[in-house]
Amino acid sequence: MASIGSGEEPVANGAAMAAFLAAGIGACALGVIVILNETGLFAAPALYAPAGGVTGRTTLAAAIWSICWAVLHRRWRDREIEARRVFALSLLGIGLGIVLTLPPVWKLF
Amino acid sequence: MDTLLFTERSLWTMFHGMALGGGALMGLAIALFSLRAMRCSGVPGATADSQALHLTWLIVATAALLWASVLTGTYVTFPAYRAVPPAGVADLGPYPKALIQSAPGTAWLHSFAMEAKEHVPWIAAMLATAVAFVGLRYRTKLLGDRPLNDMATVLVAICFALVSFVALLGVLVNKVAPVE
Repeated sequence: MASIGSGEEPVANGAAMAAFLAAGIGACALGVIVILNETGLFAAPALYAPAGGVTGRTTLAAAIWSICWAVLHRRWRDREIEARRVFALSLLGIGLGIVLTLPPVWKLF
Repeated sequence: MDTLLFTERSLWTMFHGMALGGGALMGLAIALFSLRAMRCSGVPGATADSQALHLTWLIVATAALLWASVLTGTYVTFPAYRAVPPAGVADLGPYPKALIQSAPGTAWLHSFAMEAKEHVPWIAAMLATAVAFVGLRYRTKLLGDRPLNDMATVLVAICFALVSFVALLGVLVNKVAPVE
């Protein structure tokens, strides 16, 4: 894929791909954490007792998302990345994350 | 008048759902339309720069609204929703979760609607943040670069669908068992 944009200063697409892939990883992480919680394999501790375990699960997923984004951004920000494959992976992660956070799916595990 | 028209919990719920969530939903709808309608194929000019700048700040504001809605939902209104009634209490009105679980016909509002609402909005907030970042970093290229525009549009569309879905679930829950 060519550099992003058609202006005088091409900007590598790496930073955008890092942001999109990190969002996919974050979504997928949340789905996996929720499934692990529902199957009793792992329960993230509640960070705010009145709200319960959801605070631990979502904070952990947000931490994974942030760390993955920071690492990917650092590695890709000045590089050209194969956009189609990375975006497909991002959509896969987002799709998995959405599906795994839906209660009817929990009964399958 | 000796009773409050709206309790603090009720006001927070309205602020969470209508001001923050509703604002984010409107922002997402406008962003989705703008990403398509303002897309340009040539060398960006002053008009495209201005449009991209406005669109970027719209997406940034939308992501901020979404995060504010997610955080108030998780840390302010959800604890009020899941409050446990004392043993033997007859009126479950102040305890929405217990109220909707007390009848078979409404139990799904917790087991499906509220359980989904606990997590799905966090995914939407991550997606909106990613697109907002791309808008800030690439500015005009968000409208001028076709692949980048397409990817941003897909993510905003997913985000819009997710927020619409959880907003509808929130309306249904609040209709049966409002946080008061």
